[in-house]
Amino acid sequence: MSTPAIEVTDFTMRFGARTAVDHLSFDVRPGETFGLLGANGSGKTTTIRALLGIYTPTAGTLHVEGRPFDPAHNSSLGYLPEERGLYKKEKVIDVMTYFGQLKGMPRAEAALWSTYYLERVGLASHATTRLDKLSGGQQQKVQLGVTIMDNPTILVLDEPTKGFDPVNRRLLLDIVEDQRRGGATVVIITHQMDEVERLCDRVLLLKDGRAEAYGTVPEVQDAYGGRTVRLHHGGPLPTSTRWRPITTERSYAELELDAGVEPRDVLRELVDAGVDVRSFDASRLSMEQVFLKVYGHAAQEEVSA
Amino acid sequence: MNAHNIGTVIAFEVRRTLAKPSFWIATLSVPLLMALLFGLSFFSGASAAQSSLESDAEPVTFTYTDASGIVDPSVAAGLGGTAAADPEAAAAAVREGRSALHIDIPADPVAEGVHVVGEDLGLMESGRWTSVARALLTQSAVARIDEPRLTSVLDGFTVTSELWAGGAPAPGWGAAIAPALFLVLLFMAVVMLGQQMLNITVEEKENRVTEMILTTVHPSTLIIGKVIGVVLVGIVQGLVLLVPLLAMALVPGLTSLVGAPAAEMADAAAAGQAAVDLPRVLMGAALFLASFVLFAGILVAIGAVMPSAKDAGSAFGSVIIAMFLPLYALPLVLQTPESVFSRVLTYFPLTAPVTTLTRNAVGSIELWQAGLVLAVIVLCAVLALSLGVRLFREGSIAYDQRLSWKDIVRATRSKATNPAA
Repeated sequence: MSTPAIEVTDFTMRFGARTAVDHLSFDVRPGETFGLLGANGSGKTTTIRALLGIYTPTAGTLHVEGRPFDPAHNSSLGYLPEERGLYKKEKVIDVMTYFGQLKGMPRAEAALWSTYYLERVGLASHATTRLDKLSGGQQQKVQLGVTIMDNPTILVLDEPTKGFDPVNRRLLLDIVEDQRRGGATVVIITHQMDEVERLCDRVLLLKDGRAEAYGTVPEVQDAYGGRTVRLHHGGPLPTSTRWRPITTERSYAELELDAGVEPRDVLRELVDAGVDVRSFDASRLSMEQVFLKVYGHAAQEEVSA
Repeated sequence: MNAHNIGTVIAFEVRRTLAKPSFWIATLSVPLLMALLFGLSFFSGASAAQSSLESDAEPVTFTYTDASGIVDPSVAAGLGGTAAADPEAAAAAVREGRSALHIDIPADPVAEGVHVVGEDLGLMESGRWTSVARALLTQSAVARIDEPRLTSVLDGFTVTSELWAGGAPAPGWGAAIAPALFLVLLFMAVVMLGQQMLNITVEEKENRVTEMILTTVHPSTLIIGKVIGVVLVGIVQGLVLLVPLLAMALVPGLTSLVGAPAAEMADAAAAGQAAVDLPRVLMGAALFLASFVLFAGILVAIGAVMPSAKDAGSAFGSVIIAMFLPLYALPLVLQTPESVFSRVLTYFPLTAPVTTLTRNAVGSIELWQAGLVLAVIVLCAVLALSLGVRLFREGSIAYDQRLSWKDIVRATRSKATNPAA
């Protein structure tokens, strides 16, 4: 079995009397896309900062490619933090080239790579512009470029699409997808549950510093309510002991099925009850619903944001 | 430490600073200002000399009354003086504007003092009347003694000294020049590079780039690279400042305008009197380097604890004051080097650099004692830099917040490398 790209064992982090992360263990396999999920303050960023040596853990071990992270040795890691910024008084091309060199690229190669990247994200004309003259979204594109320079084998992205409009969000996800296809291991921290379902192979849900759920996306969905049915209908829905409605609108409903109940039996029951079923889609509980189940109403605003 | 990255950090820091027009404007403004001042001094000095010559050539007409009998009439006549019979009438003539100057010499000029009544020529020029009175009396005294060799002693003479220590000639003040240069260097480094060094330590947190940079380069590599970068920039600034000094050395007469001590030092160096006491020069160099590293370490620690350069400014000011406070107490330290006060200033890490560099230059500290102080400074410099790096890791992630004492204690206990091990 290959060495995990990331391995966290019994990690605990305390800040004074407050325990931010409590005995957390998980691993990320090479080449997979891993989602680290949780409400604000659940310990996600703390875990990443400890993993990357920014925080000193209270207890436990955190390894990147088999050993504690050290920028001198783990040069092939790209990190896009939640707290973002670059040397604002410097030119875009100079900052990108500097980071490229720090990652081990020759200066000329780093400058060339930066030029290609800026062309791809539509910032070629801003190469010699000072960073603080760019818009927030443009600065984020530069930061992503710095993160993926030298094609890192591990990418850690903390809320990568925060603040992006839909067009640029799509562009960013395409770039991340290219990296993933190129064999990179991707760890993504996000509140966008649609991104989680679309991108992630496995996820870890943190709640109050502890692992609430951990596994593949279908496994986590099954663990929090199994299957759901989405239907458009006419007429009132009957009550049943085999399902419970989780969303009910005028002609649309989402039903969560009890364990062992098959969608076809539900369809039959609805038809028998005289419901005019116009569409019927059986699937697992969405990650958004899982998130709401785990974190309750407090998290609802985060997800919708 | 990744040697490749430290070179990258240094190159980035130097390149971006030298590429800024504001750096060159600030740097070039100093020698330009100096050149302007020297130019003004030179021309005003030349015009003052011309004015003095013109004043000397201009005859002075005055009256005098002499109750002492010292004044030689021929000397008085040579200076433009005419004896007056009534001192009150002569003084009244000046007061009424009919005469420019009257000098009233009593029976005993030394005990009673000479009284001068003169026309007001302004605060500076009016001093000329006093000079005339002095010239009248001293030249008359010389004329009456009539012994030029004897009276020439009053005009001053040179004294050359030859000092011996342990059977060998002592180098004297000339040997202090080279070691003292390191004190000047430390002062210049602190003044010119201090604020810049403080800025670079808070730059990452102010720009929110901490996490990206710390996962790319080790904090100690980053800090040391930045410090070296600032030092190199300082050397460039120093070289630019050398331009007016070179001009002074090459243009005859300019040296005298910067003041007597500098002129004397230059003369001493030119005359080959600037003896080199190699052990003290080497000690001065070592003390300077260790002191600079200590200073840099303290600045890094301050920058790491404070949320911004503005907040760090007051703490930075306190460090500067503490470092250069011994300059005010130097006479006392040099006169009583073995007193408790002198020993505290000599061995306390913040005051040790300036105190010991000075004492080393003038030879008021034994070399073994200076070595002991050097060891204290080196130890504190290593501790300060190490603490600075740890605090940088802790503080730069705190962004807008100032580190609490608990945070500082935790940082001091953390490992310098491989924190997640």
